[in-house]
Amino acid sequence: MNSLKVDNIIKNYGDKTAVNGLSFEVAEGEIYGLLGANGAGKTTTMRMILGLILPDKGDIRYLGKGYGQEQLSMLGYLPEERGMYPKIKVSDQIIYLAQLRGMSRKDADQNLKRWLEKFQVPEYYNKKVEELSKGNQQKIQFIAAVIHNPKILILDEAFSGLDPVNVELLKSTVKELRDAGTSIVFSTHRMEHVEELCRNITIMHKSNPVLQGPIKDIKKKFPQERVIVASEGGLNGLESITGVNQVIRHEHGGYELKVSAPEVGQLVLHHALAQGPITRFEVLEPTLNEIFIKTVGESHE
Amino acid sequence: MNNSLWTVMVFTMRNKIRSKSFIIMTAVLAVLLIVAGNVPYLIDKLGGGDKASRVGYAEGQQPQIVQGLKDYYAQLPEPNVELVSVASDAELKNALENGDVKGYLTFTDDPAVGFPKAVYNSKSAFEGGTTSSLTAALQYIKFDIISKDAGLSDAQKEQLFAPVQLSTEKVSFSDEEGKTEEQQGMAIGLTYAMIILLFMAVMISGQLIATEITAEKSSRVMEIIVTSVSPLKQMWGKILGTFIVAMLQLIVLIGAFVINLTMPQNKDSLSNLGIDLSSIDPVLLVYAIFFYLAGFFLYATLFAAVGSIVSRTEDLGQALLPITMITLVGFYIAMFGLNQPDSTLILVCQYIPFFSPFIMFLRIGLAEPAWWEIALSVGALIVTILAIGWLSAKIYRVGVLMYGKRPSVKEIIKAMKAYKI
Repeated sequence: MNSLKVDNIIKNYGDKTAVNGLSFEVAEGEIYGLLGANGAGKTTTMRMILGLILPDKGDIRYLGKGYGQEQLSMLGYLPEERGMYPKIKVSDQIIYLAQLRGMSRKDADQNLKRWLEKFQVPEYYNKKVEELSKGNQQKIQFIAAVIHNPKILILDEAFSGLDPVNVELLKSTVKELRDAGTSIVFSTHRMEHVEELCRNITIMHKSNPVLQGPIKDIKKKFPQERVIVASEGGLNGLESITGVNQVIRHEHGGYELKVSAPEVGQLVLHHALAQGPITRFEVLEPTLNEIFIKTVGESHE
Repeated sequence: MNNSLWTVMVFTMRNKIRSKSFIIMTAVLAVLLIVAGNVPYLIDKLGGGDKASRVGYAEGQQPQIVQGLKDYYAQLPEPNVELVSVASDAELKNALENGDVKGYLTFTDDPAVGFPKAVYNSKSAFEGGTTSSLTAALQYIKFDIISKDAGLSDAQKEQLFAPVQLSTEKVSFSDEEGKTEEQQGMAIGLTYAMIILLFMAVMISGQLIATEITAEKSSRVMEIIVTSVSPLKQMWGKILGTFIVAMLQLIVLIGAFVINLTMPQNKDSLSNLGIDLSSIDPVLLVYAIFFYLAGFFLYATLFAAVGSIVSRTEDLGQALLPITMITLVGFYIAMFGLNQPDSTLILVCQYIPFFSPFIMFLRIGLAEPAWWEIALSVGALIVTILAIGWLSAKIYRVGVLMYGKRPSVKEIIKAMKAYKI
């Protein structure tokens, strides 16, 4: 049984449709990517999962059960716009939030200490949030979302505003949570994170789910249209090969070619080999970034 | 699940009681009240123990009047003027400059009245106490002199001097025995105190509640909180938490005041002023508590609702203005009603729920409203509290998730429909 099952939900605000017939399932120990341009309906979807708004039609099941008070304690939420009480001590507010989720004071305190230890910031226990840097506030916010060991975790732009070191730290934490069996709904504009973390994704566009499924399958649907080729010397005449649409010369050596079909890659390789030894040759599958821009951008026209 | 209501309450209370501003404010108010509580004692001490002002006169000038003044002040139990003889007119000014006297009297003849004009010369023009005392004395002497000339007997003089007696008595129509003057005085005092306390509680606590909710919204903690606990519980947790803190503060302050009033050194001065705490009607106290609670919760829920629709603390003051105005109007009508508890304005306003916590209590304390008047007013008040509480909860539910500019009424209604509440 899947931890979270969203079944054909529809939400209208007046005559405007915010989410139109979205379905997906998140298994235990899976990170699910929810992608979309700004205003595509991601936040509304997450708010419906969190029970802040009821869907007009459709159904959301948590471990097979409908929404109710006891479901609240198994949900964790990291909102896109971060916020804590600026003038209240870290320990006070995290324990408060944990208590609201039904945790006992003692357990919450223990968990908080463990998490602070994990993020190597135990000295923040008695600090006020306003005294912390933005990145560290983010860590505290993350702790607030996971302090009560939620079964279902919703992360909205979890890594925005963090330096690369802290992004890695949080990313590995998210992976640990996943491995421990947490189901995570993950929303971000950073496609490389999605590629690294998510098994399945939904791309939403103007309230509609336009692309859904495992990342692998989605990528197969999109032709491989990029070829990287590099040699010791320069390569001439790459533009003249039929099927090559564009040649970009990289500063550090090598060429990136946009081709019309994957088979053109073989022609490129032959052409290059004729001119000397090749140091690098690769037919690249499309990045999620490209797929996203293609899907969302094209339907803009 | 009332657990989470409790959690919100405790959190609200802890943060408030720990905050420096709360501790400082309570301490300052307590000190002020302790001083105020000792005022009767201080008045006694300062008023009674005042040294008599020394007033100079030139020897030989108007001996009859000077003698009259001396006799007049001699017969007073605590004379506040002492007459000092100075050798000559010229010496008087010197005496004043040296500080031997506080002022001096000079006289000029005034044949038209048959009594000389007197001038009191002093360093400052504000010698109210001394001049009024001297005026009374001179008036008495003039009267005495003239009545002697007219040949009135002592008994006739006595009759003339006796002041006219006019006292008011309140007629009571209910079966209870009429209030004594002391009870009446205490009722006025209690009404006054209760109106001011309620007004302060509403303004201070209401603002606090609204500010806190807006702050939670603007700092976006709200998004996490509303996903953890139902908005209704959160709102009531906040209101109740603030209420308990306000009560605590009130108890500390009233405690400080009452303990002071019952201190032994204050006892005599209190009974001199006709204040007797035990003469407060217990029924009136019950009404005071009821209307205090009703007024508090009526306004607190309104403040909470307004706080929930504002996204930024900067906009809060403006959004709260209508409620603040209503409170102010209620307060001023009540202040007006202290003198005229039976005026038409008061009779109408006692049924208007936003004013009735102030006004109905005032009527009960100072007038004799019929039982149905009280019942109607209380009924309307309770219905309104429930309705406002329900409406506020609804507004709160949608308000906390609406960001951006302050939504209009139409937008709120639209959002309510969209959120299915």
